[in-house]
Formats: sequence, C-alpha cells, structure tokens
Amino acid sequence: MTKSKIGTMEAIMLVLTIIITHTISALPREILVSTKSATIINLIFVSILAILFSYLIVRLMKNFVGCDLIDISEYLGGKVFKNIVGIIFIAYFLFSSSILLRNFCESIKIIYYPMTNIIFIIAFFVLAVCSANRLDFNASLKTNLLIVPLVLASILFLFFANMNNFTPQRAFPIFGDGLFHTFVLGLGNLASFGGICFLYFLPPYLKEPEKLKKIALVSIVLSAIYLMLCVATLLFMFSFFINTNEITPLYNATRYIEFGSFFQRLESIFLLIWILAYACYLSITSKFAMNIFKKLTHIETKKPLIDIFGLLIFGIALLPKNYAISDQFETEIYPYLVLGITFCLGFSVLILASLMKKKSKKLSANTEHL
Amino acid sequence: MNKIVRNLFIFILIIAFLIAFSSSYLSLSMDNLAYVLVIGIDKGTDNNLEVSFQFSTTSKSTESGSTEKTPTVMDTVTAPSLSTAINLMDGYMGKELNLSHCKVIIFSEELAQEGISEEIYTLINDTQIRPSSNIVISKCNAKFYMEQTSPELENLISKYYEIFTNSSKYTGLKPNATIGDFFNAIICKTCEPVAILGGISTEKPENQGNNHIQENYNVKSNQTPIEGENGSENIGVATFKDDKLVGELCALETTTYLALRNRLDRFLVSIPDPDDVNSYVDIYLYPDGNTNVQVDTSTNSPYIQVKSKFTGRIYSMSNNSQYLDPEILKELSETCNKYLESVFSDYLYKTSKEFKSDINGFGRYALGNFFTTQDFDEYNWCNNYQNAFFEVKVDTSIKSSMLLTET
Repeated sequence: MTKSKIGTMEAIMLVLTIIITHTISALPREILVSTKSATIINLIFVSILAILFSYLIVRLMKNFVGCDLIDISEYLGGKVFKNIVGIIFIAYFLFSSSILLRNFCESIKIIYYPMTNIIFIIAFFVLAVCSANRLDFNASLKTNLLIVPLVLASILFLFFANMNNFTPQRAFPIFGDGLFHTFVLGLGNLASFGGICFLYFLPPYLKEPEKLKKIALVSIVLSAIYLMLCVATLLFMFSFFINTNEITPLYNATRYIEFGSFFQRLESIFLLIWILAYACYLSITSKFAMNIFKKLTHIETKKPLIDIFGLLIFGIALLPKNYAISDQFETEIYPYLVLGITFCLGFSVLILASLMKKKSKKLSANTEHL
Repeated sequence: MNKIVRNLFIFILIIAFLIAFSSSYLSLSMDNLAYVLVIGIDKGTDNNLEVSFQFSTTSKSTESGSTEKTPTVMDTVTAPSLSTAINLMDGYMGKELNLSHCKVIIFSEELAQEGISEEIYTLINDTQIRPSSNIVISKCNAKFYMEQTSPELENLISKYYEIFTNSSKYTGLKPNATIGDFFNAIICKTCEPVAILGGISTEKPENQGNNHIQENYNVKSNQTPIEGENGSENIGVATFKDDKLVGELCALETTTYLALRNRLDRFLVSIPDPDDVNSYVDIYLYPDGNTNVQVDTSTNSPYIQVKSKFTGRIYSMSNNSQYLDPEILKELSETCNKYLESVFSDYLYKTSKEFKSDINGFGRYALGNFFTTQDFDEYNWCNNYQNAFFEVKVDTSIKSSMLLTET
C-alpha cells in the first residue's frame, strides 16, 4: 500500500503539471488578451488569491483527515451527491485533458506532421497513456517528477535566452485596459490555477498527509512564478499576441533563440520536452479520473478501465470538427469549468461539509453535556 | 490465445503508425525538397507579383579536392500572390519548396512603396520561415539584385547571406532587420518597421571627386564609391510607415539609428579636427550603456530627450599628433559631442518631420506616461510623432588613441 503513496515532491509536481500543459497551449495568450499590459500586475493579484484559496482548502480539509472530496461529498449529501460530484469531476478531467490534447496535436501536426492524419497523432498519445496507466500509480508520478523540473528549466532557459529581444516597457500602461479589467474581469485568470483541483483528491494518497499545506503553498507559488515567466516572455518579446492569435505562443518564442550561427533551431528540443509533459499530464488526469470512478463503483481493480478511459480520451479529442472548435473550448469554456468546478463546486462542498461537521460536533457536545 | 491476439494487435498498430507517419517523413525527405535560400518579390504586371527563388545546389569538388564556387539556381514565376507563386514553383521544380533555410527576403522598392503587409503575414504564417530571415528592400529590381549578388569571399551563397549582417555591429552601416522584428513592428503601436537597404552599384555618388571625408558617410546602397565584384551592396536603412516604404537613411543616419537603438558594439566617426578646420579625426566610439530616452507627452507634441554616452579611441594618426595631452583629449571630446548632437538631432527630425515614422521605437518610452491602454490609444502616438521635439545630449569621453599616442 505504501508503495502507491505519493511523496511531497511528487505531489508538488503533480499540481504543476496542469498549469504547465496549459501554458504550452493557449493559456498565456488568453491571459495577455484579457489583461494586456497589466498582465504582470494581474498575475500577482490572481496568484495571491490562488495562494489564499489553496490555504483555505488545506484548512478546510484538515477537518477530514485522509479523505478526498468524494468522501467529503458523501459525508455531506450521501451517496447520490457523492456520485454527482464524482461524475462531474470525471467528466471535467476527461474533457479538459482530451480537448487540450486535441489542441496540442493540432499544433504538432501543423509544425511537424503536415501529411499525417491527426487521428494517428492523438492515438500515439493515447497509447502511451494506456501503457503508462498499466504500471503502478506511482510510475507516472515519478516520471512526472523528472519531466516537470525539465519543463521548468526549459522555460527559465527560454526567458533568459530571449532577454536580448525584450522590451520591458511593454509592461506599461500599468493598468492595461483599466482597473476594472485588471482586477475584476481579470479575476477570470484565476482559472489558470486549475491544478488546485488535485488538492481535493491528494490526501488519501499522500505519504505524509500533514504536509498538504506545504504541497499546496509551494505548488501554487511555483505555478505563479512559472506562469509569470511564460507570460513575461511573450509580453516583453511580442507586440502581436494582444491582437493576433497564434497557436502555441511559447513555441513561437523558442524560434527566436539563437547563439551565433551554431546553436540555432532549438525549438525541436522544447517540443520534445513538452510532448513528454503532455503524456505525463494525460496519464495523471486519467489515473485520477479512474480512481474516482473506482471509488464510485467500488470495483476492485481499475485495469479494465484503462482502455475504456483511453478510448474516451481518444473519442472526445476527435469530437471537435476543427481547431476553431477545440480552441473555443479551451479559451472560452475551460476557464469557466475550472472556476465552476474547482473554485465553486469543490470549495462549496468543503465549506458546507465543514459547517455540517461543526454543527454535529456541537450537537454531540450538547447531548454529552445534557 | 490471448497473447497471440495482443501481439497481433500490437503488430497491426505498429504497421498503421509506420504508414501514417511515413507520409510526413517522405514529404520532408531531402530528395523531395528544394531548399530556397533567397526569395525576391517584384511588382509584376496586372497586379501580379513576380517572385524569384534562389536555390542551393550541391557543391562540386575538383580532382584536387578544392571546392569551387557553388552555382545557384534561380527561377522566377509571375502569380497573383506569394502562396500561389510557391505552389506554381513546386509544380515546376517537381519538388516541394522548403523555406526553412531561406535567409533573405528581398522586396523591390516599387512594391515596398505600395505596402508589403500581405506578403509579410503570409511568410510569418509559414512554419518553415525563420523569424531571423533578413528583409532587404532593393533599390533596383529584386530579381536583378539576386542575379548580381556574387560574394567574393564565400563559395556558398547561403554562407554569405547567413553572415552578411554581422558587420552591422561594428560598422553601423546596415541594420540586422529580420522578418520577425518587421512583423512585430507592423502590429506594434509604439514603433515602425525598417529593413536593410540594398542595391546594385550602378551609379557613382554625385559628389565623387570631392575629397570631403564626411561625404563618405552620406552614401547609401546604389550610390557607394565601392568598386568590387560583390555585385550587390547593402548600406542604409529602408524606413517604413506601417507597411509602406517612406524613406531611406544614409550610412551616417543608419549608424545613428543603430546607436540610438543600442544595437552597436562600436562605430567609426570622423569629427572635425578642433585644431585644423580642414581635416578630420577618425574616432572609434563605444556605447557606454544604453541610450537614455525620456518622453514628455503632456501636449500633443511629444518632447523627447535623448542622452547617449560613449567612450572613444582615436583611430587616425598623422604627423604631430599629441594624444597624451588631456586638454587635447577634452577638446576632442567636446567637438565630438557637438558633432554627434547635431547629427543625432538632424536624424531624429528627419524621422519625425520627413518620414513621420517612429522607427526608433520612442513610443515605448511614452507608454509609462499613461495609466491605461485607452489613454495611450487616444493620444495617438504614431500620428503625434510628427509633432515631436527633440533634445539630444551626447557625453563622449575620448580616452586615448590606440598603439601610437604621440607622433
């Protein structure tokens, strides 16, 4: 049993995986479009909120030691409510990861495999995920522990290697489209911290559940720094991401890295690292989805689910007719899903369950007193 | 039985993946590709474009082992758009044109004056084009420019195009203008694009015969006093307003442009000798930090203060040079300051009043004066730049000469 437990570092990298995959896709562009030159200020503001939010989650989850959100929702609303919450999270994990996969595969197709049908590119990822999921729960997390630092290092490298192309003055006008856009409408950028949803499901798997607070805070701070580096790279380098839509904006930034005439065209290395990060992300989200399903249905093993979930990811990824639809999902629907499911649903369940527990504690204390 | 079915499934999958991905690999096979080194775009008849492609061919080795100058292949197609031209050329060559090694994109002056945004957007949309590909605006026909370009010191023309902008860092005679920067500047609200000014030396400068040393700094492509076998020459900057060519900068103005944009490691200037009005002193100037720019946008006429610092080393020597005397060095520094302030100021007013184009990107320094993007948009920087006033301050500190200090 202890073998399948997650270490503190593994858990931190797990939370980071979500933000990493989304920044490789359209996330930095969307943040830039929404808050323009005020993006850095907005991100600082949103990051502080995300840190507060994750701290609150940890505080509330302390009332339910060793339980995840599914257990807590069962405590709150019984089996029916537990099933509803579980299904919502399974659907959220599957849809978000599948559409993200579709978008990433579209980029790979445009850049490297123009003559290959996208079905095969998606299938390649799905097969990798199905194979990885057959291994121990920890296998993907340990691979992720290797890949995520590599991605972080690549983004740091991207930032510093492009510094000579920076125009820092692009961080002005300081308030972008105005205070309302930066601090009120810009609250939508809280959706960037979608990795927080893993915090709801981590406690039963942690080797040291008491370190959940450390995991939450470190992972959100790292996510914030990572996101700021990505967005700052684009904001300081290009004037066009605010007006022009471009797939995989960070890939565009990698094309500018040159060290003399010898070290050029480093974008392939970046893309290779990102492909590995995507495979890890898919494996982790599908594993969590399967674990929730297992919990809902009380099946003994998740082995038969591996191929079914793989096929589901494959099928959902193929649903959008074209890139426009999948991009619309990622940029217009996904943020609301994160805000609705992670920040509203999950948090509401936690608050209500905590209140319920407090009430029942009070009641039991009163009856004891009587 | 289960194992057989599983192995068979894996085998079928491997075959399917091999077939699926092989089509992409085949299309990228070197045998199926024609590598374009240079694209030249001219204005054709009936609103068509005349697009010329220069290709690399494999080098021939002689029996002695030495490598001969590699011949290049050039083909031209007339088409309504750049993408159609590429497609037609694909068919003509029997190979797919690959632009991933395209080093230079040349536009004729005539086409650039009408606007080249459509071509720039199309090229940027292409995954193969590198953002580091240079943009040249040719004073002559782009095709003629390509035909005449024959590097003297390089066997491979691709090598020449790879390094031909390297000298901009120490001569300041041409910018390293890339398509990435050009595209960025077209969309940018705080700057305007520039390109390398190219041409073929067909006419001698009007002032030839005049030994006035300063005249050598007023030359630009097409009018240089250089005689050689390189064919083409690239001296000067082609300045744009949005996507349209609006003017040209000569050698001295190009150096000024690069100095103000902090893109120079060093440059040579000839300043009047304080002791002899008829002679000049050549000084190597090294920028001492970045140019300091402050923009006041309190009125619709931006007031721009530019402060530059240089350290200098005297390069030209003659009989009776006394460059160990601090007074002489101070005098030279002051003369240099006055001279550069006048040159910088003339150049800045030229960009503002004549070109009406902020190629220096001063708009970015104005961004900090506004709280919101709407405020900045309302100020209409690009339009107000033509009303700008400049104050230039140059602080030069000439340290010494080089090996000889006194003669």
